Amino acid sequence: MIKYWKYILIAIILLLGVLFPFYAGAYQQSIARTVLIYLVLAISWDMLLRSGQLSFGMAGLFGIGSYASVLLLLRLGASPMLSILGAGLVAFVVAALLGILVLRLRAMYFAITTLAIGEIFRIIIRNWSSFTGGPEGAILPNIIFDGDPVLSYWLVLGLALLAIVLSVIFQKTRIYFALTAIRNNEVVAKSSGINIFKYLVIVFAITSALQGMAGGVFAQTYGFVTPESSFSADYILLPIAMALLGGIYGTLGPIIGTVLLGVLAEYLKLYIPYGHLIVYGIIIICIIMFMPQGIVGVVRSKIIRREVG
Amino acid sequence: MAERILKRPLYIIVGLLSAAVIVLLLFWKPTVVVYGVQRAGLYAGIALPMALILGIVHIVNLAHGEFMITAAYITYFLCNSFGMSPFAALVPVVIVMFLLGMLIFKFTIKHTLKAPELNQLILTFGLAMVLTQGLNLIATSQPRKISLDFVTSSATVGETTFGTYGFIYDLAAVLILAGLLFFLRKTKFGKAAVAVGQNPRGARIIGIDVNKIYILVFSLAIALTGIMGVLFLTSQSIFPLAGGSYTMKSFCLVAMAGMGSLPGIVFASIGLGIAESFIMSFQGYGGWSNIVFFALIIIVILIKSFKGKR
Repeated sequence: MIKYWKYILIAIILLLGVLFPFYAGAYQQSIARTVLIYLVLAISWDMLLRSGQLSFGMAGLFGIGSYASVLLLLRLGASPMLSILGAGLVAFVVAALLGILVLRLRAMYFAITTLAIGEIFRIIIRNWSSFTGGPEGAILPNIIFDGDPVLSYWLVLGLALLAIVLSVIFQKTRIYFALTAIRNNEVVAKSSGINIFKYLVIVFAITSALQGMAGGVFAQTYGFVTPESSFSADYILLPIAMALLGGIYGTLGPIIGTVLLGVLAEYLKLYIPYGHLIVYGIIIICIIMFMPQGIVGVVRSKIIRREVG
Repeated sequence: MAERILKRPLYIIVGLLSAAVIVLLLFWKPTVVVYGVQRAGLYAGIALPMALILGIVHIVNLAHGEFMITAAYITYFLCNSFGMSPFAALVPVVIVMFLLGMLIFKFTIKHTLKAPELNQLILTFGLAMVLTQGLNLIATSQPRKISLDFVTSSATVGETTFGTYGFIYDLAAVLILAGLLFFLRKTKFGKAAVAVGQNPRGARIIGIDVNKIYILVFSLAIALTGIMGVLFLTSQSIFPLAGGSYTMKSFCLVAMAGMGSLPGIVFASIGLGIAESFIMSFQGYGGWSNIVFFALIIIVILIKSFKGKR
């Protein structure tokens, strides 16, 4: 019986999500678009974290995706939808190459290198003015769907659903057991015949493609890219804070965390225009110290305790 | 065994090659070498304390450059509101940074020492963001600078004229290195710290107070970044985000030198400094100089990866 309720609940939330533009105003819709973009970043970050690899590369891949989609459209005349797919592909290739280089090393090397990707691509884009538009960035002649808010909301929602579905698939299939085994004990995983390196590169490339597509969608719906805004530290800090708050190593945690913090973020921005990100830093520190399992983990352990006791 | 035999000639070859490159540069573009060495002092001064923390406390401090920038801001406000000279501010800033390091260690990092490495990385990343955004909140993102007339002092050797003030970073780096080596090799406390770095459990068994060592070494390292922060302010303009690239460069240098080798950092810094100033010497390509760091980090990773080390 409980199982049926779960599916009905999911269906209702899905329906509310899809029909959102018909009962919410323009401002709420724009908040929802931002929250959904962060949802993609938070879930894809968590998907990689499940293998024990910590990435700080969201901003870099997001920026690469943004620029890839804008430049594909401006320089090669690709259609907006095609350019978003292209953005995913570019991020996929970049991440696969980088992953092959870095993923033989563990934790801190990988974390630092991913942190560096954003920095490096920003330098290239800033200095290669003739191709990328330099420090001023580039402006699209036309926003996707001619600026129709409902269609662009559904586009973002579609990407978020793709991320959720991929994340669920990752948790239900062989790859989940491989990744969890890697995280828990690499040597044991290796000796039971798991090709650690292959799985890590695949997961890193797929999650990066999601982040690149998120960047592409963002650039297409807002119609511009600049080195500073597209590679902003927001895209590292917020998803991490969101996923940690909700609870890492699962699909539900990042979703809950993103919705809570995403809505909070809009109000914080109004009251603290400079440095509102400090709140996220504090959230990250507090959660790591006092509640590393996040909201989902706390609730789950309460339920288990009640069932046992 | 084979690796050890191979290692030594490799180092000698690399050393000789780089010495040859530097000598050639000295004739072709003398200012490149001078400014490169000055940059190297700045990089080494910031990377040395990071290596100290990594070697003894075993924490990758992703807030390292941010601590340096925080010190620079404290100095800026001391100089501005009390009319102090930055060098007079050195003493209070170092004390404040030591206490700040102590507080941060006691209230945050200490609690994650036994947690998985991922948690420590995320924690120090969170600290970095709190520092950067805290500065952003207090001081806004507007760049700040203090003007000192002796910063522009220059000297002429033969036909080339160059700024001499940058050598203060080299002086600071050499003093920090010498001080740390003396501290770690000659003093009782330093020897205990090395023992903790090598084997915390063993150190605890023979009666060393490991927690005290951790907190003091961490605070000492933060105080040292404070010194570099004060010097940084004297010749460069500061803004809250300026620290991030120094965190990454420091990590790159520490990784290049091999974890825990302090003199290695100095050589790695000289390499990075000269390479950067070489690119900057070409008109209109100055913006590309940061790419050197990218090349270095990739090389480091490739070497580590082929050695099969973690």
